Amino acid sequence: MLTMHNVGKIYQTDSVQTHALRDFSLTVNEGEFIAVTGPSGSGKTTFLNIAGLLEPFTSGQYTLDGIDIGGLSDNQRADIRNQKIGYIFQGFNLIPDLNIYENVEVPLRYRGVPAKERKVRILECLEQVGLASRARHLPQQLSGGQQQRVAIARALAGKPRFLLADEPTGNLDTLMARQVMELLEEINQNGATIVMVTHDPELARRAPRNIQVVDGELADLTFYQGKPATPASAPEKSAHESVVGG
Amino acid sequence: MLEIKPIFNALRRSKVGAILLFLQIALTTAVVSNAAFMINDHLSYLKEDTGFVQQEIFSFGLMTFGKDIDLHQQAERDEDMIRRIPGVIDAVFIQAVPLTGGGSSTSSHLRPPPEESKSLSLAYYYADEHTLDTFGVTLLEGRNFRPEEVVIGSDFDGHGPNTVIVSQAYAQEMFEGESALGKTIYVSSRPLEIIGVVETMKSPWPRGDRSSRTSIIPFINVQNFHRVMVRTEASERDSVMKVIEDKMLSQYDQRVIINIEGLEESKNSYDATDVLMMRMLMVLVVILVLVTALGILGLTQFNISKRTKQIGTRRALGARKSDIIRYFLVENAMICTVGLVIGSFAAFFLGRVLMNAYSINALEMQFVIGTAVGICVMSLLAVIVPAMRAANFSPSIATRSI
Repeated sequence: MLTMHNVGKIYQTDSVQTHALRDFSLTVNEGEFIAVTGPSGSGKTTFLNIAGLLEPFTSGQYTLDGIDIGGLSDNQRADIRNQKIGYIFQGFNLIPDLNIYENVEVPLRYRGVPAKERKVRILECLEQVGLASRARHLPQQLSGGQQQRVAIARALAGKPRFLLADEPTGNLDTLMARQVMELLEEINQNGATIVMVTHDPELARRAPRNIQVVDGELADLTFYQGKPATPASAPEKSAHESVVGG
Repeated sequence: MLEIKPIFNALRRSKVGAILLFLQIALTTAVVSNAAFMINDHLSYLKEDTGFVQQEIFSFGLMTFGKDIDLHQQAERDEDMIRRIPGVIDAVFIQAVPLTGGGSSTSSHLRPPPEESKSLSLAYYYADEHTLDTFGVTLLEGRNFRPEEVVIGSDFDGHGPNTVIVSQAYAQEMFEGESALGKTIYVSSRPLEIIGVVETMKSPWPRGDRSSRTSIIPFINVQNFHRVMVRTEASERDSVMKVIEDKMLSQYDQRVIINIEGLEESKNSYDATDVLMMRMLMVLVVILVLVTALGILGLTQFNISKRTKQIGTRRALGARKSDIIRYFLVENAMICTVGLVIGSFAAFFLGRVLMNAYSINALEMQFVIGTAVGICVMSLLAVIVPAMRAANFSPSIATRSI
C-alpha cells in the first residue's frame, strides 16, 4: 500500500537547514492500523504530511498504491489526495460557514460526484458516525467529539483506501476519545488502512502496530497482538528495525 | 464545479463583509454610470461643430459716448475700414456674438399670432449681408441677403425686414422634412420669408435644445453700444486683434473698444464651468473605482488570511489550485452580481433625479452596461492576484497550528 525508501525532508531557510526526516523507510500493508508515536518535534507530522501528499519530500522514494509519488504534478497529487486518501485532523478542520452536510460534501464535489450520488454517500457516512440527524447543523453547534465524527465522515465519504489521522483525539476528553478510537477500529475492520499519529500511549497500544519517530528517524517498531492491547499483554518489542515489512 | 450553492450559503451565514462590498459596488455603479454619461455628453458637446470658423473670428464691443456723429454712418465707415485691413476676410456689426452665452431669442410661428399654430423658440442675430462670410457658415439652400433687404432702423414690427436665413436644424424641426425655402414664419407679428438655409449655426447658447435653432435677420439697429465681429485669415487674427483698437479710434475717438476676444476663447470661457465639472466628475470616477477595487482586494485578502487553514484543508481534501482560485472568483462574482443589479436600478433612479433637477438627458442603458462590465473586469483583476496567492498555500497548512 505505502512504501517509503530513504525518504528525507529538509526545511531550508536562508541560514538554517533542518532535517525533519532522515532516511525514513517504512512499508505499510493494505488493511493495517498503525500508530505513530514520538516526542514533539520528532517528525511525526512531517511523516504524515509526506505520506498524505500534503508536502513534497526532499530525497528518497515514496510509492503509494503502486504510484511513484516523486514525479507527480501538483494536480496529480491533488487528485490522489482526493481519491485515495482520507484525512482526520486534530483540530477537526471543519469549515465553519458550511453545515455538516456541506462539510462532508467538500471532497465529493472536488471529485465531481453527481449530486444524487453525493447525497446518498453523505447520508450513509453521517449515519455511520451517528450524526445523520445533525446534517443541517453548523460545526459550532456540535460538541468536539461530534465534530471529529463529522471529520471522520468527511474522510470516509470518498471511500478512501488510506486513512491518515493526526492526533484525532488530541482535542477530546477521554470518553469522546474512546468513541472516536472505536470508530476508527471499526473502519479499519471494514478494510481501510489507517496511519494514526498520537501522543496518547493508551490509544497507541490499541493499534496492532506501533512505530516511533525520534529526531526524524524511525526509531522503534512495536507489535501488539489482539485488541484492545494492554502493556501486560503486549509482546516484547522487536529489535530496532529500520525498514519493516508488516 | 462552481460550488455556487455552498458559497452562497457560506456568504449568507457570514454576510457583513459581503453586504458592505455589494453596497459599495452598487454605489459605484450608480454614480460612475451617471458620471460617465455626463462626461460623455459633455465630450460630445465639446466636439460638436458650431458652424463657425472659430479660429479665424474675433469680436469686440464698441461703446460710443460722442454725440456728434450718426451712428449708422459711422458703422458703415468702420465696417469699410475694417474690411480693408490686410488679412481681414469680412466684418459685421451685430447685436449678439455667438457662443458667448449672451444674445437674443424669440418665439417663431407658422401663422401670425394670435392664431394658433406651431411655434418654436428661435435665436437670432441682427446683422447684414456680410454675416455669412464673417461667420464662415455653409449656405445649403437659397441665397444670401441682398443689400437692399437689410433694414436700418429701430421699429422692427412696423418697418422691419421681410426676409430671414435659418439654420437647417430649425428648418427641419419647424417644417418636419419639407423644404423651408420660400416659407414664411412670423417673428413677433412680422412675416419673414425664408430665403436661405445654412448647415450648422449655433446660437449664443451653444448647449441645450435651443442651441441649434438659429436665424440671421437683416436688421441693423446701431446704438451707443454695439458688437463687431471680424473674420481674418487664421494666421492674421492675432495681429489684427492688436491693431483693431487703434484703427477704430483713428476713425473716431469719442468711444471705447472693449473685450477684444477670439471666438474660440469666448467659447472656452463659456465652457469653463462645465469643463471644471467634467474634470471633477472624472476625478470622482477614478476615486470611486479605486476605492471599490481596494475594497474588493482588501476583503479578498482578509477572507484569505481568515481562511488560511480552510484553504489548506480544501487542498488536503483534493482541491486543485484552480479550484481555490475559482472559489474566490465565484464568491466575488456573486457579490458583484448582486451589487451590479442593485447598482443598475440605483443608476437609473439617480439618472431620473438628475434629469429632473438639472434638465440633463435621460441616462442611456449603454452607460450602465459599460460601467457594469468595467466594474466586473476591475473586480476580477482585484480578486485574481490574492486568489492565486491563496492557491499556492501548501496543503500541509491543514495540519499546522495557525
